[in-house]
Amino acid sequence: MSRQELLSPEGLRVDGRRANELRRISCRASVLNSADGSSYYEQGNTKVLVAVYGPREPRSKALAQHDQATINVEFNVAPFSTSERRKRSKGDKRLLEVASFVKQTFEGAIQTTVYPRSQIDIYIHLLQHDGGTLETCINAATLALVDAGISMVDYVCACTAGFIDQKPVLDLNFVEESSIETPDLTVAILPRSGNIALLQMESRLHSSKLDEVLELAMEGCKHIHQKLDQAVLAAAGDLATKLSR
Amino acid sequence: MASLLLSPAEQDYIICGVESGFRADGRGSLDRREVSLRTGMISQANGSARCRIGNLGVGTDVLVGVKAEVNSWTPGEPEDVGSIVCNVECSPSAAQEFEGRGAEEINVELTQLLDRILNGPQSGLNLKNLCIIPKQAYWVLHIDALVLDVKGSIIDTLVWATRAALMSTSLPSVVVETISDEKGNIQSEFDVVDDPDNLTPLEGVEHLPISVTFSQIGKRYVVDASEQEEAVTQARLTVAVSPAMEI
Repeated sequence: MSRQELLSPEGLRVDGRRANELRRISCRASVLNSADGSSYYEQGNTKVLVAVYGPREPRSKALAQHDQATINVEFNVAPFSTSERRKRSKGDKRLLEVASFVKQTFEGAIQTTVYPRSQIDIYIHLLQHDGGTLETCINAATLALVDAGISMVDYVCACTAGFIDQKPVLDLNFVEESSIETPDLTVAILPRSGNIALLQMESRLHSSKLDEVLELAMEGCKHIHQKLDQAVLAAAGDLATKLSR
Repeated sequence: MASLLLSPAEQDYIICGVESGFRADGRGSLDRREVSLRTGMISQANGSARCRIGNLGVGTDVLVGVKAEVNSWTPGEPEDVGSIVCNVECSPSAAQEFEGRGAEEINVELTQLLDRILNGPQSGLNLKNLCIIPKQAYWVLHIDALVLDVKGSIIDTLVWATRAALMSTSLPSVVVETISDEKGNIQSEFDVVDDPDNLTPLEGVEHLPISVTFSQIGKRYVVDASEQEEAVTQARLTVAVSPAMEI
């Protein structure tokens, strides 16, 4: 795909969005019954289902840490998630990499010292893949962790941003991500303090442009924070009405 | 299947209860739990379905996606049929021991089971229709099942969800052109029409079987065992029946 096609002269992208528009987000908490916390998160055509268990007994005593909880993340990509069906084995390096990023991100956000000697499991299922895997996983996992009642310092909101045709663009989809010349920056922040929990980039970006792109991504994160907050309030409101009946 | 730790007293309670016609959750021995079924949630798959048994908290949950791919024919395969490939994956959210490599055994078992039901004349699917050009190309249907939760009766849920997914599957149309070159050889080429409105449903899906599982507890049988009842089951019989009442 040549660069011209990704961003038209009128400023419209492949799917009709402007450079600084997020895709449509819809999310729901408490979708799985037997998990302690769960969430279903859709951003455009990317769909993620997350189940959280914990804190619970660690699977092997060797993994237990005496002063904090162990976080365990498993990332599963469904074979029907991409346009050509592809089955990934559990040891696939890319999957392990994403899982390890999510784990490191949440180690900074979850108050693990509150739950020593226990294990918190986060199981992520990618049901449909249309760009922005890492950001959707982090957002969905945040919602599921809040649903599970695990204490966190703050929400963790993630967003991707790129740079097409000298303009920073927000929230890349699959087509834009796979184009080789587009740099793809994923940033996860804790909205209240503005601290960055994760910063990851692929391809290359001139250092003078980094600030612009980063700022745009952080704006996107703030929007996502509002959406997640609304979803949590909706779920809590639901629970409150059920309890009061 | 994942087993609970039940004390001898609890096991006894379930067995005696079943023998007298009572079950722990108040059902009769032939009553099933509530079933909820939704299709078409995954837009990138050719067909999909999610089936949930049980309500409000404790239930079995399976998500099935069907994707169709074109495959080239290799010598040694039957010349004019398509094929079906099944794959079942149990997610660790179903049980803690499914984490990492723990689920492999049960994955293989369920995959083989689904395969047995679907492959072969008993399934009722018209495999000849899946062939695009004899000796050249055919459709392969990849059926991928994701088990999200297991609380008894996993086989039934799996089969129902698969049937629903196949019923909601539609294949893109294929245009076959035959060209004959100078030597008089006929060559066929095909083109998959990339039109979202021009889809054809699978043929023969009405004949797909549905399964029912009977579990023997003590001296009587129950249908749709819950997790605790499965832990006490001595024997299990699953029967797959097609609409034409064939087994």
